[in-house]
Amino acid sequence: MSALAPAVHKPWRFASILVYTLRSCIGPKRWLGSLVYCGAALLFGLLALTIDEPSGEAFARVAADGIFALVVPIASLVIGDAVLGAEVRSGVFHFTWLTPAPLWQIVVGRWLGGCIVALVTLVPACALAAVVAGDPGSAGAAAIGAFMGAVAYIAVFVAIGCIARRAAVWSLAFVFLVERLLGAALTGIAQWSPTWESRAVFVNFADNAPTSLVRDGIPAGTGAMVRLAVIAALGLGIAWWRLAHIRLAGASD
Amino acid sequence: MTTMTTSHDPRDPAFVGDASVEVSDASAWFGQKVALSELSCSFGPGVTGLLGPNGAGKTTLMRAITGLMPLNQGTVRVDGRDPRRDRSVHSCTSLVPEDEAVPSGLTARQLVRYVADLHALADRAAPDRALAEVDMLGVADRRVDGFSKGMRQRTKVAAALVTEPTVLVLDEPLNGADPVQRAHLIALFRRLGAQGRTVIVSSHVLHEVERLADRIIVLIHGRLAAAGDQRAIRDAMNDRPRHVLVRGTDGRRLAAALIGLDSVAGVRLNGDDVEISTSRAAELALALPAVASDLHVRLREVRPLDDSLESLFRELVR
Repeated sequence: MSALAPAVHKPWRFASILVYTLRSCIGPKRWLGSLVYCGAALLFGLLALTIDEPSGEAFARVAADGIFALVVPIASLVIGDAVLGAEVRSGVFHFTWLTPAPLWQIVVGRWLGGCIVALVTLVPACALAAVVAGDPGSAGAAAIGAFMGAVAYIAVFVAIGCIARRAAVWSLAFVFLVERLLGAALTGIAQWSPTWESRAVFVNFADNAPTSLVRDGIPAGTGAMVRLAVIAALGLGIAWWRLAHIRLAGASD
Repeated sequence: MTTMTTSHDPRDPAFVGDASVEVSDASAWFGQKVALSELSCSFGPGVTGLLGPNGAGKTTLMRAITGLMPLNQGTVRVDGRDPRRDRSVHSCTSLVPEDEAVPSGLTARQLVRYVADLHALADRAAPDRALAEVDMLGVADRRVDGFSKGMRQRTKVAAALVTEPTVLVLDEPLNGADPVQRAHLIALFRRLGAQGRTVIVSSHVLHEVERLADRIIVLIHGRLAAAGDQRAIRDAMNDRPRHVLVRGTDGRRLAAALIGLDSVAGVRLNGDDVEISTSRAAELALALPAVASDLHVRLREVRPLDDSLESLFRELVR
Protein backbone atom coordinates (compact mmCIF):
# COMPACT_ATOMS: atom_id res chain seq x y z
CA MET A 1 0.00 0.00 0.00
CA SER A 2 1.46 3.30 -0.94
CA ALA A 3 0.92 6.40 1.20
CA LEU A 4 -0.36 9.39 -0.65
CA ALA A 5 1.57 12.58 -0.01
CA PRO A 6 -0.66 15.59 0.61
CA ALA A 7 -0.93 17.88 -2.39
CA VAL A 8 1.23 20.97 -2.02
CA HIS A 9 -0.27 24.08 -3.54
CA LYS A 10 1.89 27.07 -4.14
CA PRO A 11 0.07 30.27 -3.20
CA TRP A 12 -1.16 32.44 -6.02
CA ARG A 13 0.84 35.65 -5.67
CA PHE A 14 -1.67 37.66 -7.60
CA ALA A 15 -4.46 36.78 -5.18
CA SER A 16 -2.23 37.66 -2.21
CA ILE A 17 -1.45 41.08 -3.70
CA LEU A 18 -5.13 41.66 -4.32
CA VAL A 19 -6.16 40.65 -0.80
CA TYR A 20 -3.36 42.75 0.69
CA THR A 21 -4.49 45.76 -1.34
CA LEU A 22 -8.05 45.50 -0.09
CA ARG A 23 -7.02 44.72 3.48
CA SER A 24 -4.06 47.01 4.10
CA CYS A 25 -3.85 49.71 1.42
CA ILE A 26 -7.56 50.49 1.65
CA GLY A 27 -7.90 50.38 5.41
CA PRO A 28 -11.07 50.99 7.42
CA LYS A 29 -10.53 54.77 7.37
CA ARG A 30 -10.32 54.83 3.60
CA TRP A 31 -13.42 52.65 3.27
CA LEU A 32 -15.17 55.13 5.52
CA GLY A 33 -13.75 58.01 3.49
CA SER A 34 -15.35 56.57 0.37
CA LEU A 35 -18.66 57.73 1.83
CA VAL A 36 -17.57 61.29 1.05
CA TYR A 37 -17.22 60.82 -2.70
CA CYS A 38 -20.24 58.52 -2.82
CA GLY A 39 -22.21 61.23 -1.01
CA ALA A 40 -20.91 63.84 -3.46
CA ALA A 41 -22.16 61.75 -6.39
CA LEU A 42 -25.61 61.53 -4.79
CA LEU A 43 -25.63 65.27 -4.15
CA PHE A 44 -25.00 65.85 -7.84
CA GLY A 45 -27.96 63.57 -8.52
CA LEU A 46 -30.11 65.74 -6.26
CA LEU A 47 -28.76 68.85 -7.97
CA ALA A 48 -30.15 67.59 -11.28
CA LEU A 49 -33.64 67.82 -9.78
CA THR A 50 -33.27 71.59 -9.53
CA ILE A 51 -32.57 72.05 -13.26
CA ASP A 52 -35.56 73.04 -15.31
CA GLU A 53 -35.13 70.42 -18.04
CA PRO A 54 -36.34 66.89 -18.66
CA SER A 55 -34.77 64.62 -16.05
CA GLY A 56 -32.65 62.71 -18.59
CA GLU A 57 -31.04 65.84 -19.97
CA ALA A 58 -30.70 67.47 -16.58
CA PHE A 59 -28.91 64.47 -15.13
CA ALA A 60 -26.69 64.16 -18.21
CA ARG A 61 -25.52 67.77 -17.83
CA VAL A 62 -24.87 67.42 -14.09
CA ALA A 63 -23.16 64.06 -14.58
CA ALA A 64 -20.93 65.44 -17.34
CA ASP A 65 -19.73 68.45 -15.35
CA GLY A 66 -20.05 67.15 -11.79
CA ILE A 67 -19.71 63.38 -11.66
CA PHE A 68 -17.35 62.68 -14.57
CA ALA A 69 -15.31 65.88 -14.25
CA LEU A 70 -15.06 66.03 -10.46
CA VAL A 71 -16.26 63.03 -8.46
CA VAL A 72 -14.72 60.29 -10.60
CA PRO A 73 -11.23 61.86 -10.81
CA ILE A 74 -11.12 62.82 -7.13
CA ALA A 75 -12.40 59.40 -5.98
CA SER A 76 -9.91 57.70 -8.29
CA LEU A 77 -7.12 59.88 -6.93
CA VAL A 78 -7.93 58.79 -3.38
CA ILE A 79 -8.05 55.12 -4.39
CA GLY A 80 -5.15 55.16 -6.89
CA ASP A 81 -2.78 56.85 -4.47
CA ALA A 82 -3.77 54.56 -1.60
CA VAL A 83 -3.01 51.33 -3.45
CA LEU A 84 0.63 52.13 -4.18
CA GLY A 85 1.95 55.68 -3.82
CA ALA A 86 0.95 56.05 -0.17
CA GLU A 87 2.74 52.80 0.64
CA VAL A 88 5.91 53.87 -1.13
CA ARG A 89 5.91 57.13 0.84
CA SER A 90 5.19 55.48 4.18
CA GLY A 91 8.20 53.19 3.82
CA VAL A 92 6.44 49.82 3.90
CA PHE A 93 6.49 49.00 0.21
CA HIS A 94 9.71 47.00 0.68
CA PHE A 95 7.60 44.14 2.11
CA THR A 96 6.26 43.77 -1.43
CA TRP A 97 9.19 44.99 -3.53
CA LEU A 98 11.81 42.80 -1.85
CA THR A 99 10.22 39.58 -3.08
CA PRO A 100 10.66 37.65 -6.30
CA ALA A 101 7.11 38.61 -7.35
CA PRO A 102 7.23 40.08 -10.88
CA LEU A 103 6.73 43.82 -10.90
CA TRP A 104 3.92 43.63 -13.43
CA GLN A 105 1.99 41.41 -11.03
CA ILE A 106 2.48 43.92 -8.24
CA VAL A 107 1.34 46.84 -10.41
CA VAL A 108 -1.61 45.05 -11.96
CA GLY A 109 -2.64 43.50 -8.63
CA ARG A 110 -2.65 46.86 -6.90
CA TRP A 111 -4.52 48.51 -9.79
CA LEU A 112 -7.06 45.71 -9.88
CA GLY A 113 -7.59 46.08 -6.13
CA GLY A 114 -8.25 49.78 -6.68
CA CYS A 115 -10.70 48.99 -9.48
CA ILE A 116 -12.58 46.61 -7.18
CA VAL A 117 -12.87 49.37 -4.58
CA ALA A 118 -14.20 51.75 -7.23
CA LEU A 119 -16.59 49.05 -8.42
CA VAL A 120 -18.17 48.59 -5.00
CA THR A 121 -18.21 52.24 -3.90
CA LEU A 122 -18.04 54.81 -6.69
CA VAL A 123 -19.88 52.89 -9.41
CA PRO A 124 -23.04 52.10 -7.40
CA ALA A 125 -23.07 55.68 -6.10
CA CYS A 126 -23.00 57.05 -9.66
CA ALA A 127 -25.79 54.68 -10.70
CA LEU A 128 -27.79 55.69 -7.65
CA ALA A 129 -27.25 59.35 -8.53
CA ALA A 130 -29.16 58.74 -11.78
CA VAL A 131 -32.01 57.18 -9.82
CA VAL A 132 -32.03 60.08 -7.36
CA ALA A 133 -32.10 62.49 -10.31
CA GLY A 134 -35.27 60.80 -11.56
CA ASP A 135 -33.59 59.21 -14.57
CA PRO A 136 -33.19 55.52 -13.64
CA GLY A 137 -32.75 54.68 -17.31
CA SER A 138 -29.31 56.33 -17.21
CA ALA A 139 -28.14 54.38 -14.14
CA GLY A 140 -26.41 51.73 -16.24
CA ALA A 141 -24.72 54.32 -18.45
CA ALA A 142 -23.53 56.26 -15.41
CA ALA A 143 -22.16 53.05 -13.89
CA ILE A 144 -20.33 52.03 -17.07
CA GLY A 145 -18.95 55.53 -17.62
CA ALA A 146 -17.83 55.88 -14.00
CA PHE A 147 -16.23 52.45 -13.97
CA MET A 148 -14.33 52.98 -17.23
CA GLY A 149 -13.23 56.44 -16.09
CA ALA A 150 -12.07 55.07 -12.73
CA VAL A 151 -10.19 52.20 -14.40
CA ALA A 152 -8.15 54.69 -16.46
CA TYR A 153 -7.74 57.29 -13.73
CA ILE A 154 -6.60 54.77 -11.10
CA ALA A 155 -3.90 53.51 -13.48
CA VAL A 156 -2.75 57.10 -14.10
CA PHE A 157 -2.66 57.87 -10.37
CA VAL A 158 -0.87 54.61 -9.59
CA ALA A 159 1.82 55.76 -12.05
CA ILE A 160 2.00 59.25 -10.54
CA GLY A 161 2.23 57.69 -7.05
CA CYS A 162 5.31 55.75 -8.17
CA ILE A 163 6.94 58.77 -9.75
CA ALA A 164 6.26 61.69 -7.42
CA ARG A 165 6.55 61.96 -3.66
CA ARG A 166 3.86 64.68 -3.61
CA ALA A 167 1.54 62.50 -5.61
CA ALA A 168 -1.68 64.27 -4.60
CA VAL A 169 -0.38 67.62 -5.83
CA TRP A 170 0.81 66.20 -9.16
CA SER A 171 -2.40 64.21 -9.60
CA LEU A 172 -4.53 67.30 -9.03
CA ALA A 173 -2.28 69.20 -11.43
CA PHE A 174 -2.87 66.47 -14.00
CA VAL A 175 -6.65 66.71 -13.64
CA PHE A 176 -7.10 70.45 -13.35
CA LEU A 177 -4.16 71.90 -15.26
CA VAL A 178 -3.48 69.32 -17.95
CA GLU A 179 -6.92 67.85 -18.54
CA ARG A 180 -9.16 70.76 -17.69
CA LEU A 181 -7.11 73.82 -18.62
CA LEU A 182 -4.91 72.57 -21.44
CA GLY A 183 -7.53 70.06 -22.54
CA ALA A 184 -10.07 72.87 -22.97
CA ALA A 185 -7.79 74.64 -25.40
CA LEU A 186 -5.97 71.75 -27.05
CA THR A 187 -8.13 69.04 -28.61
CA GLY A 188 -5.16 66.67 -28.75
CA ILE A 189 -5.00 66.53 -24.96
CA ALA A 190 -8.77 66.12 -24.60
CA GLN A 191 -8.57 63.15 -26.98
CA TRP A 192 -6.63 61.28 -24.29
CA SER A 193 -8.38 62.68 -21.24
CA PRO A 194 -10.19 60.13 -19.02
CA THR A 195 -12.75 62.83 -18.15
CA TRP A 196 -13.74 63.48 -21.75
CA GLU A 197 -13.57 59.83 -22.71
CA SER A 198 -15.67 58.59 -19.77
CA ARG A 199 -18.19 61.32 -20.54
CA ALA A 200 -18.40 60.01 -24.11
CA VAL A 201 -18.99 56.49 -22.79
CA PHE A 202 -21.82 57.75 -20.58
CA VAL A 203 -23.48 59.81 -23.32
CA ASN A 204 -23.35 56.87 -25.71
CA PHE A 205 -25.16 54.54 -23.32
CA ALA A 206 -27.57 57.03 -21.70
CA ASP A 207 -31.07 57.26 -23.11
CA ASN A 208 -31.60 60.99 -23.22
CA ALA A 209 -28.15 62.53 -22.98
CA PRO A 210 -27.50 65.31 -25.50
CA THR A 211 -24.71 64.39 -27.91
CA SER A 212 -23.43 67.96 -27.62
CA LEU A 213 -21.82 66.85 -24.36
CA VAL A 214 -19.33 64.79 -26.33
CA ARG A 215 -16.43 66.79 -27.59
CA ASP A 216 -15.60 66.82 -31.28
CA GLY A 217 -13.16 64.14 -32.30
CA ILE A 218 -13.77 61.89 -29.32
CA PRO A 219 -15.10 58.52 -30.40
CA ALA A 220 -18.45 57.40 -29.05
CA GLY A 221 -19.12 54.31 -26.93
CA THR A 222 -16.79 51.42 -27.61
CA GLY A 223 -14.17 53.65 -29.23
CA ALA A 224 -13.97 55.76 -26.07
CA MET A 225 -13.79 52.60 -23.96
CA VAL A 226 -10.88 51.37 -26.04
CA ARG A 227 -9.12 54.70 -25.52
CA LEU A 228 -9.70 54.49 -21.78
CA ALA A 229 -8.26 50.97 -21.81
CA VAL A 230 -5.21 52.28 -23.69
CA ILE A 231 -4.78 55.09 -21.12
CA ALA A 232 -5.00 52.50 -18.34
CA ALA A 233 -2.43 50.28 -20.06
CA LEU A 234 -0.10 53.26 -20.54
CA GLY A 235 -0.42 54.23 -16.87
CA LEU A 236 0.31 50.68 -15.75
CA GLY A 237 3.25 50.46 -18.14
CA ILE A 238 4.76 53.65 -16.73
CA ALA A 239 4.19 52.40 -13.16
CA TRP A 240 5.84 49.08 -14.00
CA TRP A 241 8.85 50.83 -15.56
CA ARG A 242 9.11 53.19 -12.61
CA LEU A 243 9.03 50.39 -10.04
CA ALA A 244 11.94 48.74 -11.82
CA HIS A 245 13.99 51.91 -11.31
CA ILE A 246 12.60 53.16 -8.03
CA ARG A 247 14.80 54.28 -5.14
CA LEU A 248 13.02 53.10 -2.03
CA ALA A 249 13.97 55.23 0.92
CA GLY A 250 12.54 54.87 4.38
CA ALA A 251 9.63 56.92 5.64
CA SER A 252 12.01 59.14 7.58
CA ASP A 253 14.27 59.91 4.60
CA MET B 1 24.65 29.40 -2.72
CA THR B 2 27.22 30.67 -5.18
CA THR B 3 30.64 31.49 -3.88
CA MET B 4 32.21 34.39 -5.67
CA THR B 5 35.79 34.63 -6.74
CA THR B 6 37.51 37.95 -6.23
CA SER B 7 40.72 39.46 -7.42
CA HIS B 8 41.35 41.04 -4.02
CA ASP B 9 44.28 40.32 -1.80
CA PRO B 10 43.16 37.33 0.28
CA ARG B 11 44.79 38.92 3.34
CA ASP B 12 42.68 42.08 2.99
CA PRO B 13 40.29 41.91 5.96
CA ALA B 14 37.62 43.85 4.07
CA PHE B 15 37.08 40.75 1.94
CA VAL B 16 36.20 37.16 2.69
CA GLY B 17 37.09 34.17 0.58
CA ASP B 18 33.62 32.64 0.37
CA ALA B 19 31.72 35.88 -0.23
CA SER B 20 28.03 35.79 -1.03
CA VAL B 21 27.78 39.59 -1.12
CA GLU B 22 30.41 41.66 -2.85
CA VAL B 23 30.53 45.45 -2.94
CA SER B 24 32.95 47.03 -5.42
CA ASP B 25 33.86 50.72 -5.56
CA ALA B 26 30.38 51.63 -4.36
CA SER B 27 29.54 55.32 -4.27
CA ALA B 28 26.17 56.87 -3.53
CA TRP B 29 25.20 60.43 -2.91
CA PHE B 30 22.08 62.48 -2.27
CA GLY B 31 22.58 65.93 -3.68
CA GLN B 32 25.64 67.32 -1.92
CA LYS B 33 25.71 64.59 0.72
CA VAL B 34 27.97 61.63 0.05
CA ALA B 35 26.57 58.49 1.65
CA LEU B 36 29.08 55.96 0.27
CA SER B 37 32.44 56.73 -1.22
CA GLU B 38 34.32 54.12 -3.28
CA LEU B 39 33.53 51.41 -0.76
CA SER B 40 34.75 47.90 -1.48
CA CYS B 41 34.17 44.97 0.82
CA SER B 42 32.51 41.58 0.90
CA PHE B 43 30.36 39.54 3.23
CA GLY B 44 30.28 35.79 3.71
CA PRO B 45 28.74 33.18 5.99
CA GLY B 46 28.54 34.18 9.64
CA VAL B 47 27.51 37.39 11.35
CA THR B 48 29.15 40.61 10.22
CA GLY B 49 28.60 43.74 12.29
CA LEU B 50 28.34 47.02 10.46
CA LEU B 51 29.41 49.89 12.65
CA GLY B 52 29.62 53.60 12.20
CA PRO B 53 28.27 56.85 13.54
CA ASN B 54 25.03 58.35 12.23
CA GLY B 55 25.38 59.27 8.58
CA ALA B 56 28.27 56.87 8.06
CA GLY B 57 26.45 55.12 5.22
CA LYS B 58 25.41 51.90 6.95
CA THR B 59 21.76 52.09 5.96
CA THR B 60 22.62 53.16 2.42
CA LEU B 61 24.96 50.18 2.09
CA MET B 62 22.28 47.81 3.40
CA ARG B 63 19.69 49.24 1.01
CA ALA B 64 22.14 48.90 -1.87
CA ILE B 65 22.86 45.28 -0.96
CA THR B 66 19.16 44.43 -1.01
CA GLY B 67 18.56 46.43 -4.20
CA LEU B 68 16.30 49.05 -2.64
CA MET B 69 18.65 51.80 -3.76
CA PRO B 70 20.75 52.11 -6.88
CA LEU B 71 24.39 53.10 -6.55
CA ASN B 72 25.64 56.17 -8.37
CA GLN B 73 28.87 54.30 -9.06
CA GLY B 74 30.21 50.82 -8.47
CA THR B 75 28.48 47.49 -8.16
CA VAL B 76 26.83 45.20 -5.64
CA ARG B 77 26.54 41.50 -6.34
CA VAL B 78 24.59 39.00 -4.30
CA ASP B 79 25.44 35.43 -5.21
CA GLY B 80 26.86 36.93 -8.42
CA ARG B 81 23.63 38.70 -9.31
CA ASP B 82 22.74 42.39 -9.44
CA PRO B 83 19.92 42.95 -6.92
CA ARG B 84 18.65 45.95 -8.91
CA ARG B 85 18.23 44.02 -12.14
CA ASP B 86 17.63 40.42 -11.18
CA ARG B 87 14.57 40.02 -8.98
CA SER B 88 15.35 36.34 -8.39
CA VAL B 89 17.95 37.63 -5.89
CA HIS B 90 15.10 38.49 -3.56
CA SER B 91 14.26 34.81 -3.14
CA CYS B 92 17.45 34.42 -1.09
CA THR B 93 17.79 37.82 0.58
CA SER B 94 15.78 39.53 3.30
CA LEU B 95 15.94 42.94 4.90
CA VAL B 96 14.79 44.16 8.29
CA PRO B 97 14.84 47.95 7.94
CA GLU B 98 15.30 50.32 10.83
CA ASP B 99 12.06 52.20 10.09
CA GLU B 100 9.23 51.54 12.47
CA ALA B 101 6.65 51.68 9.69
CA VAL B 102 4.52 48.56 9.18
CA PRO B 103 1.53 47.98 6.91
CA SER B 104 -1.70 49.03 8.55
CA GLY B 105 -4.67 46.79 9.12
CA LEU B 106 -2.77 43.50 9.12
CA THR B 107 -2.15 41.05 11.94
CA ALA B 108 1.37 39.74 12.48
CA ARG B 109 0.38 36.40 10.97
CA GLN B 110 -1.21 38.06 7.91
CA LEU B 111 1.90 40.16 7.29
CA VAL B 112 4.28 37.22 7.54
CA ARG B 113 1.96 35.09 5.38
CA TYR B 114 1.78 37.86 2.78
CA VAL B 115 5.58 37.87 2.50
CA ALA B 116 5.60 34.06 2.33
CA ASP B 117 2.93 34.08 -0.39
CA LEU B 118 4.87 36.56 -2.52
CA HIS B 119 7.82 34.19 -2.28
CA ALA B 120 5.43 31.44 -3.45
CA LEU B 121 6.23 29.44 -0.34
CA ALA B 122 4.19 26.24 -0.36
CA ASP B 123 4.87 25.43 3.31
CA ARG B 124 1.78 26.80 5.05
CA ALA B 125 3.31 26.28 8.50
CA ALA B 126 6.33 28.48 7.73
CA PRO B 127 4.78 31.78 8.94
CA ASP B 128 3.91 30.32 12.33
CA ARG B 129 7.38 28.83 12.63
CA ALA B 130 8.97 32.20 11.84
CA LEU B 131 6.73 33.95 14.38
CA ALA B 132 7.62 31.33 16.99
CA GLU B 133 11.33 31.96 16.32
CA VAL B 134 10.93 35.54 17.51
CA ASP B 135 8.50 34.66 20.29
CA MET B 136 5.53 36.36 18.61
CA LEU B 137 3.27 33.39 18.01
CA GLY B 138 1.15 34.25 21.06
CA VAL B 139 0.23 37.64 19.61
CA ALA B 140 0.15 36.56 15.96
CA ASP B 141 -3.49 37.55 15.56
CA ARG B 142 -3.04 41.07 16.87
CA ARG B 143 -2.65 43.98 14.48
CA VAL B 144 0.93 44.96 13.77
CA ASP B 145 0.19 48.70 13.71
CA GLY B 146 -0.88 48.42 17.36
CA PHE B 147 2.41 46.83 18.44
CA SER B 148 5.20 48.47 20.42
CA LYS B 149 8.43 49.29 18.61
CA GLY B 150 10.14 46.13 19.83
CA MET B 151 7.22 43.91 18.81
CA ARG B 152 7.11 45.52 15.37
CA GLN B 153 10.81 44.87 15.01
CA ARG B 154 10.39 41.23 15.94
CA THR B 155 7.49 40.85 13.51
CA LYS B 156 9.68 42.30 10.76
CA VAL B 157 12.40 39.81 11.71
CA ALA B 158 9.81 37.01 11.41
CA ALA B 159 8.78 38.32 7.99
CA ALA B 160 12.44 38.29 6.98
CA LEU B 161 13.05 34.78 8.31
CA VAL B 162 9.96 33.12 6.86
CA THR B 163 11.68 32.47 3.53
CA GLU B 164 14.83 31.12 5.20
CA PRO B 165 17.09 33.54 3.32
CA THR B 166 20.77 32.84 2.78
CA VAL B 167 21.54 36.56 3.05
CA LEU B 168 19.89 38.39 5.92
CA VAL B 169 20.38 42.15 6.26
CA LEU B 170 19.32 43.65 9.60
CA ASP B 171 19.38 47.39 10.17
CA GLU B 172 19.38 48.06 13.92
CA PRO B 173 17.26 44.95 14.58
CA LEU B 174 17.49 45.22 18.36
CA ASN B 175 15.90 48.66 18.55
CA GLY B 176 13.11 48.76 21.07
CA ALA B 177 13.54 45.16 22.23
CA ASP B 178 13.69 44.54 25.97
CA PRO B 179 16.81 42.90 27.45
CA VAL B 180 15.34 39.39 27.37
CA GLN B 181 14.27 39.78 23.76
CA ARG B 182 17.65 41.27 22.86
CA ALA B 183 19.40 38.22 24.24
CA HIS B 184 16.91 35.99 22.41
CA LEU B 185 17.45 37.80 19.09
CA ILE B 186 21.23 37.84 19.49
CA ALA B 187 21.19 34.08 20.05
CA LEU B 188 18.93 33.69 17.01
CA PHE B 189 21.19 35.75 14.73
CA ARG B 190 24.26 33.88 15.94
CA ARG B 191 22.52 30.59 15.22
CA LEU B 192 21.63 31.75 11.71
CA GLY B 193 25.24 32.77 11.16
CA ALA B 194 26.45 29.42 12.44
CA GLN B 195 24.12 27.72 9.94
CA GLY B 196 26.19 29.28 7.16
CA ARG B 197 23.89 32.18 6.34
CA THR B 198 25.33 35.60 5.61
CA VAL B 199 23.98 37.83 8.37
CA ILE B 200 24.78 41.55 8.18
CA VAL B 201 23.79 43.53 11.26
CA SER B 202 24.12 47.21 11.96
CA SER B 203 23.78 48.56 15.43
CA HIS B 204 24.63 51.52 17.58
CA VAL B 205 24.68 49.33 20.68
CA LEU B 206 28.29 48.37 20.41
CA HIS B 207 28.53 45.90 23.25
CA GLU B 208 25.79 43.91 21.55
CA VAL B 209 27.76 43.82 18.34
CA GLU B 210 30.68 42.52 20.36
CA ARG B 211 28.45 39.66 21.48
CA LEU B 212 26.88 39.24 18.05
CA ALA B 213 29.39 39.58 15.26
CA ASP B 214 32.28 37.37 14.23
CA ARG B 215 33.55 40.11 11.97
CA ILE B 216 33.21 43.85 12.00
CA ILE B 217 33.22 46.45 9.27
CA VAL B 218 33.51 50.06 10.36
CA LEU B 219 32.23 52.81 8.09
CA ILE B 220 32.98 56.46 8.59
CA HIS B 221 31.79 59.16 6.20
CA GLY B 222 30.82 56.47 3.68
CA ARG B 223 34.30 55.02 3.60
CA LEU B 224 35.71 51.81 4.99
CA ALA B 225 37.53 52.73 8.20
CA ALA B 226 38.41 49.24 9.41
CA ALA B 227 37.50 45.59 8.88
CA GLY B 228 38.16 42.30 10.57
CA ASP B 229 37.57 40.98 14.07
CA GLN B 230 37.97 43.39 16.97
CA ARG B 231 41.56 42.38 17.60
CA ALA B 232 42.45 42.57 13.92
CA ILE B 233 41.04 46.07 13.75
CA ARG B 234 43.01 46.98 16.83
CA ASP B 235 46.19 45.52 15.28
CA ALA B 236 45.57 47.50 12.12
CA MET B 237 45.65 50.60 14.27
CA ASN B 238 48.92 49.78 16.00
CA ASP B 239 50.33 53.19 15.18
CA ARG B 240 47.76 54.74 17.52
CA PRO B 241 48.28 54.80 21.29
CA ARG B 242 46.63 52.16 23.44
CA HIS B 243 45.93 52.39 27.11
CA VAL B 244 46.81 49.69 29.58
CA LEU B 245 45.93 49.63 33.27
CA VAL B 246 48.54 48.11 35.61
CA ARG B 247 47.73 47.42 39.25
CA GLY B 248 50.66 46.52 41.47
CA THR B 249 51.90 46.71 45.03
CA ASP B 250 53.82 49.97 44.47
CA GLY B 251 52.36 52.04 41.67
CA ARG B 252 54.57 55.07 42.22
CA ARG B 253 57.89 53.18 41.76
CA LEU B 254 56.48 51.21 38.87
CA ALA B 255 55.35 54.38 37.08
CA ALA B 256 58.76 56.00 37.57
CA ALA B 257 60.49 52.98 36.04
CA LEU B 258 58.04 52.59 33.15
CA ILE B 259 58.30 56.20 32.02
CA GLY B 260 61.89 55.50 30.99
CA LEU B 261 60.93 52.73 28.57
CA ASP B 262 60.95 53.45 24.83
CA SER B 263 57.66 51.63 24.39
CA VAL B 264 55.85 53.89 26.85
CA ALA B 265 54.44 57.17 25.54
CA GLY B 266 52.95 58.36 28.81
CA VAL B 267 52.08 57.31 32.34
CA ARG B 268 49.30 58.45 34.65
CA LEU B 269 49.19 57.55 38.31
CA ASN B 270 45.98 57.11 40.23
CA GLY B 271 46.72 55.71 43.70
CA ASP B 272 48.51 52.44 43.00
CA ASP B 273 46.90 52.17 39.57
CA VAL B 274 49.16 53.04 36.66
CA GLU B 275 47.60 53.92 33.33
CA ILE B 276 50.10 53.53 30.51
CA SER B 277 49.84 54.96 26.99
CA THR B 278 51.74 52.96 24.43
CA SER B 279 51.91 52.65 20.69
CA ARG B 280 54.11 49.50 20.94
CA ALA B 281 52.01 47.18 23.04
CA ALA B 282 53.95 44.02 22.17
CA GLU B 283 57.21 45.54 23.42
CA LEU B 284 55.52 46.76 26.57
CA ALA B 285 54.10 43.31 27.20
CA LEU B 286 57.64 41.88 27.19
CA ALA B 287 59.21 44.68 29.21
CA LEU B 288 56.59 45.05 31.95
CA PRO B 289 57.20 41.75 33.82
CA ALA B 290 60.97 42.38 33.79
CA VAL B 291 60.58 45.89 35.21
CA ALA B 292 58.20 44.66 37.92
CA SER B 293 60.59 41.84 38.82
CA ASP B 294 63.56 44.22 39.07
CA LEU B 295 61.60 46.53 41.39
CA HIS B 296 60.19 43.62 43.41
CA VAL B 297 56.72 44.95 42.63
CA ARG B 298 53.96 42.37 42.51
CA LEU B 299 51.57 42.85 39.58
CA ARG B 300 47.96 42.25 40.51
CA GLU B 301 46.26 43.15 37.27
CA VAL B 302 47.24 44.12 33.75
CA ARG B 303 44.41 44.86 31.34
CA PRO B 304 43.85 46.93 28.21
CA LEU B 305 41.47 49.81 28.81
CA ASP B 306 40.37 50.23 25.23
CA ASP B 307 39.74 46.81 23.77
CA SER B 308 36.00 47.33 23.77
CA LEU B 309 34.32 48.35 20.56
CA GLU B 310 33.18 51.56 22.22
CA SER B 311 36.71 52.80 22.62
CA LEU B 312 37.80 51.41 19.29
CA PHE B 313 34.96 53.27 17.64
CA ARG B 314 35.83 56.52 19.41
CA GLU B 315 39.39 56.15 18.22
CA LEU B 316 38.39 55.51 14.62
CA VAL B 317 35.97 58.40 14.51
CA ARG B 318 38.52 60.80 16.00
